[in-house]
Amino acid sequence: MKKKRLSYETTRRLTQILLWAILIISLFIFSVPFLIMISASMEEFSYVLPYPPKVFPTRFNFSAYQYVLSMPAFGTALMNSIINTTITVFISLLVSTLSAYGFARIKFPGRDWIFRLYIFTLMVPGFLNIIPQFIVLRGIDFIPGLPNGLIGTTFGLILIYTSTSIAGHTFFLRNYFRTIPETLSESVYIDGGGHFTVFSRIYLPLSLPAIATMSIFSFQGYWEEYFTAKVLIGANENLITLPLLLQRLNGEHSTRWDLVFAASLLVLIPIIIIYTIFQKKLIAGNLTQGSVKE
Amino acid sequence: MNKIKNKKLKNLLLALPFVLPGLLLVSIFVLYPMFFTIYISLSEYKIVSREINFIGFANYIAIFSSGSEFWYAVRNNFLYAIVTIPVIIFGGLFFAYLLDNLKHGKTFFKVGFYLPVITSWVIVALVFRYMFGNANTGFFNYLLVDVLHLTDEYIPWLFREWSGNAAIWLMGIWKNLGWALIIFLAALQTISKELYEAASVDGASFWQKFKFIVMASIKPTIFFVMVNMVIGSFNVFLQVLMLTGGNPNDTTTVLQFLLYSLAFSDREFGQASALGLVIAVLVLIVTIILNKYFKLNKDNEGNDAV
Repeated sequence: MKKKRLSYETTRRLTQILLWAILIISLFIFSVPFLIMISASMEEFSYVLPYPPKVFPTRFNFSAYQYVLSMPAFGTALMNSIINTTITVFISLLVSTLSAYGFARIKFPGRDWIFRLYIFTLMVPGFLNIIPQFIVLRGIDFIPGLPNGLIGTTFGLILIYTSTSIAGHTFFLRNYFRTIPETLSESVYIDGGGHFTVFSRIYLPLSLPAIATMSIFSFQGYWEEYFTAKVLIGANENLITLPLLLQRLNGEHSTRWDLVFAASLLVLIPIIIIYTIFQKKLIAGNLTQGSVKE
Repeated sequence: MNKIKNKKLKNLLLALPFVLPGLLLVSIFVLYPMFFTIYISLSEYKIVSREINFIGFANYIAIFSSGSEFWYAVRNNFLYAIVTIPVIIFGGLFFAYLLDNLKHGKTFFKVGFYLPVITSWVIVALVFRYMFGNANTGFFNYLLVDVLHLTDEYIPWLFREWSGNAAIWLMGIWKNLGWALIIFLAALQTISKELYEAASVDGASFWQKFKFIVMASIKPTIFFVMVNMVIGSFNVFLQVLMLTGGNPNDTTTVLQFLLYSLAFSDREFGQASALGLVIAVLVLIVTIILNKYFKLNKDNEGNDAV
């Protein structure tokens, strides 16, 4: 009996070691692109690419990082990306939480019909709208000093970003709100409070974790957004965002790979930090909501 | 009767401050453009003079008879789905299963495999472009020629039809596998351990446990991942823009890249809109087929859970 138990322990331990070995080797192969990026960003650039290509950095030279950080365009792009993403996330979540409450808890005429329209917009590929969105933005040209309407303006880009994210956020938060028991609101009604009190005192605080998760995903999404930004502000130097800058650094003929990868890693770092800090909550909680049936 | 009407009106007034801001933004910048696309697709739209002339289905005809590029794009979008999705699902499931059985270090591997997912497509495209370099300084050429000695010639990966497409596929797999892994892992963790124990008591083999417990429990999740990936495979764009530019001779082009070139290089807004609608209908048909086939896409209340 005792012997059998021991061998069971040993197999379990061996299995764990085997698992670790497989996972470590796989993760290493998986990480090669990142390692190459890090190594290349630390190479001394000599208009000739290093041979053989290095997976592990052989030197620690941060001049490419210094150069990128001192580029005026990088400062501009960083500022613009921060402004675009934070304003978009803030407005979109404000509008979406309000909408979600309306759809979840007030039975107004036409509610289900409008909600189905929202879901419908989620199923249609977003890029389909870029041409009419371009035309609509350009049509808002009655503001003095804007002959091209809102094309080539921060405001226009943020309007599109916000509007296109509302349906998804509303859908997600409405489902979340519906899991909050309605009996919770009854005490507010008894005290004479209305929907705004219920919303701000009960639904908002209770759903802060969900809102935080969505903010992070939304932030990440707009931090890396390329297509819309390229179309709506592509030509305006002052409004360039980080993804547009990265694509431009990737020149047609002589790409300075050290600069490209230093800039790429600088753009990536905030996302990695945010993700690593929140990963437990994100993964355990809302990331998978709707995907896992229990 | 009057009372009911009053209540409805009252509810509408109560809901307006909550719903109206969102509804306005969605209507002006999402819904209206969607219907406007249909109109543009039936017109000739002149960008400078802002003239719109109705021309019927000419744009659609132009797309379908434009020669090979449209069909190459359709082929490549489907090939992308057919090649990458099975690898992403099997790979994601495989690593998720390993991770689910791992005692220590789960977080480390989770973050490690998830890194490509949170890395933007632009950055991923840049590093893949670097790795698929033409000469011996490109990582894959170095690996094939100088390390493995499989061939003597350096391959111009991104300038050939099939190696260019393969680069686009590899990039898609690398970027999305971690996402599938995390979703599968979450699903695996909801399976009660008692189920496994009960099966062990009944003398179930490893494969029986895998088939009847694991696969049965996560079937809806596999479907969820699949639908997401299918829709994603119609969104391939940056890979092509930054890796191959559709070269050689449009053999690596995809629908969204074609749409982009039509609209913003050729200034053919009408044709681009028509193409956009064709893509949307394609996506819709594929999604409906998947829905019909799996019949799992309902939440507890019977609503569509897309």
